[in-house]
Amino acid sequence: MPIKEQFSRVWLMTMLVTYGAYFAAVVAMGEAGFWSQMAAFIATVIVQVAALGIAGAIMELRHKGGPKADERDRAIDQRATRTAYHVLMAGVIILACVMPFSETGWRLFHAGVFAIAMAEIVRHGQIVLLYRRGWHG
Amino acid sequence: MAERRLVNCLRLLRFMASEMTQAELGERIGVTRQTIAAIEAGKYSPTLETAFKIAEVFGKPLEEVFQWEMQPAASESAEANGATETSKLHHLMRLHMTNRGGNTMP
Repeated sequence: MPIKEQFSRVWLMTMLVTYGAYFAAVVAMGEAGFWSQMAAFIATVIVQVAALGIAGAIMELRHKGGPKADERDRAIDQRATRTAYHVLMAGVIILACVMPFSETGWRLFHAGVFAIAMAEIVRHGQIVLLYRRGWHG
Repeated sequence: MAERRLVNCLRLLRFMASEMTQAELGERIGVTRQTIAAIEAGKYSPTLETAFKIAEVFGKPLEEVFQWEMQPAASESAEANGATETSKLHHLMRLHMTNRGGNTMP
């Protein structure tokens, strides 16, 4: 399995677990105070970065001296990034042009985080899918 | 409507080139072993540059390594499968004869 695919699988799982837990906590907290909400977000980011850092270091060690990314890896990455861009743009349009008329404060913040997390999940999900199913770019 | 697809005979060419491995071929043209496997399996269409590099490694013209084939529609596929297999077999035999310096088939 190419290292890029392995890394995308780890990224996808990490995003699903950490942000799944984050949004579950956000729903459970309801209208909690500023520091509770900020602590939940910071804890999520720290856990995600730590998990990705450890997984990335392990994969680098296992693939030391191995082949670097080639044209197929780059093509798949570009295709997935393009799809994720549309997801992010849809999120930004809703967040910046629709939600300000009805929502305020933390709801806007959570919507922004949700849009970014969704775009990343779509990106890495598509990378895994394109490696598995093949792609004729 | 019939679609077209890129097919190749990399597996056979590697076999004829002293059973060259996918990793060796990948190393010579600057791609990973997984990319060679994906090209062989028809899961990835290489760039023109990589296609030329592959042809160069085997000392063959591009059209002998890659073919632009008609893919029959689902309803026609059953009967067309036999014809595709026959044409593929002819192509492989022609390649083999050329490699041995023999006469080419009509």
